[in-house]
Amino acid sequence: MMYNFYIKRDSILHSLDPRVKLTGTAAAVIILLLFNSPEVLIPLFFLTMLLIYLLGKITLREQYRVLRPLFPILIITIVVWAFVYDPWYRGALIGVAYGLRLLTFGLIAFALLMTTTQRDLILGFIKLKMPYEYGLTMTIALRYIPTLYMLALNIMDAQKARGWEMEKGNIFVRIKKMSAVLVPLLIASIKTAHELSIALESRGFGARRKRTFLHTIEMKKRDYIALFLTGITIGIALYVRYGLGFGHIKLY
Amino acid sequence: MMIQVKNLWHIYEGRKEALRGVNFEMGREIVALVGPNGSGKTTLAKHLNGLLKPTRGDVIIDGMNTKEHSVAELSKLVGYVFQNPEHMFFEESIFKEVAFGPKNLGLSPEEIEERVKWALKKVNLKGYEERTPYSLSGGEKQRLAIACVLSMKPKYLILDEPTTGLDERSAESVKEIIKSLYEEGHGILFITHEMDLVLELAQRVVLLYKGEKVFDGPTDEFFSIELRNYGLDKPELLRISFSIGTGFVRNVEEFIGRFLR
Repeated sequence: MMYNFYIKRDSILHSLDPRVKLTGTAAAVIILLLFNSPEVLIPLFFLTMLLIYLLGKITLREQYRVLRPLFPILIITIVVWAFVYDPWYRGALIGVAYGLRLLTFGLIAFALLMTTTQRDLILGFIKLKMPYEYGLTMTIALRYIPTLYMLALNIMDAQKARGWEMEKGNIFVRIKKMSAVLVPLLIASIKTAHELSIALESRGFGARRKRTFLHTIEMKKRDYIALFLTGITIGIALYVRYGLGFGHIKLY
Repeated sequence: MMIQVKNLWHIYEGRKEALRGVNFEMGREIVALVGPNGSGKTTLAKHLNGLLKPTRGDVIIDGMNTKEHSVAELSKLVGYVFQNPEHMFFEESIFKEVAFGPKNLGLSPEEIEERVKWALKKVNLKGYEERTPYSLSGGEKQRLAIACVLSMKPKYLILDEPTTGLDERSAESVKEIIKSLYEEGHGILFITHEMDLVLELAQRVVLLYKGEKVFDGPTDEFFSIELRNYGLDKPELLRISFSIGTGFVRNVEEFIGRFLR
């Protein structure tokens, strides 16, 4: 079960404040959207991989593992661009660039999740003025994924014992068969959620508008430096794109 | 007619052994499977209808090795009633719910209808056909769960904590169902933590402790071993009866009879 991507390491990215990392993620996405030419996007993908390896100590193999599910999208992008663009080899190149841009988005998001614990990430959001309730909702959702997964397995066992076989029949028959698992799962989930809400309330949740935290985060000197460097990077990217007019091509 | 478990080992992925070399046989009898939490009771029970396959060793049901047959095939022979009945209800009516198993067996509509009627009668839920399963009380849900498995007419019936969380009257009716199924020729194995239930129903007790079978024998012998070593204890009735020297008794009536004699 992959629901937590966090990999414990001792790196610069790991030690940064989650707010800085969230800002950095947003900055990286903006920079990626500024450019559309293959000459920029393709090197940018490899640069991102390298930076994640150098700054976050996430090995290329680990990066490859999270990217692998996205490969079909890359291939479809290349094929479609090759078909619709003339000449086709130019289209294929643009397809590669756009596909890799998508993969770069993926890399950036995974880099954030792999170097930040769920707790810190949510705390970061809250410090950025997201209401605490939303943070708690996110935590609970993540916490209950493995629980519900176990419950689903248990329900499947119960139905198998009544002669239920998922493997048999065509796709429509199978979808219909899933109701034997989904209905009990849904009902059990709703019941659990209801019980959880009662438990939360009985432990004083929402009693005071302002609450304190056991674990807090603080901006340190290195965080300000990282923030400053992020700003400079965006500045350079904007200058290259609009000042020098580089990295953007007219497609039609 | 025989369930055979031969040198059964089971190891869940990435964890230590849940079952370590268990040998066990049962035929047409009422067997209680007991032991503290985490001793491997449910793991053993789930092997008997093929939900779990042995890591090592064999489980053979009437000559069928569970390694070679699917759970669906084995469900005709071994019925398994799960601990939480709600985990199996998904149809809008009780009739459909009980018919689900027979439908999976590919029976004719007439046969299915006859089996549903029979199973519902067996658990005293006749007349409930059109209600929804979730509208039932806790005890009724447990009985419906039994009916859902009974309608497949299995030879053996496994019940995981059949009376846990039920009030006295509901528990009583589940016990009556178990007794009458045994009399009709079913082999029954139930998992429980309630020693009163063991005393009242079981002909034989199998005690698991840390994945190993540490006791297997008649119920009266079971209650003469030092149960506290395994985190269990005798029912009050037996403690009284043993201490005043009237010996092993099944219920209060028997105890009074012996005491007055």
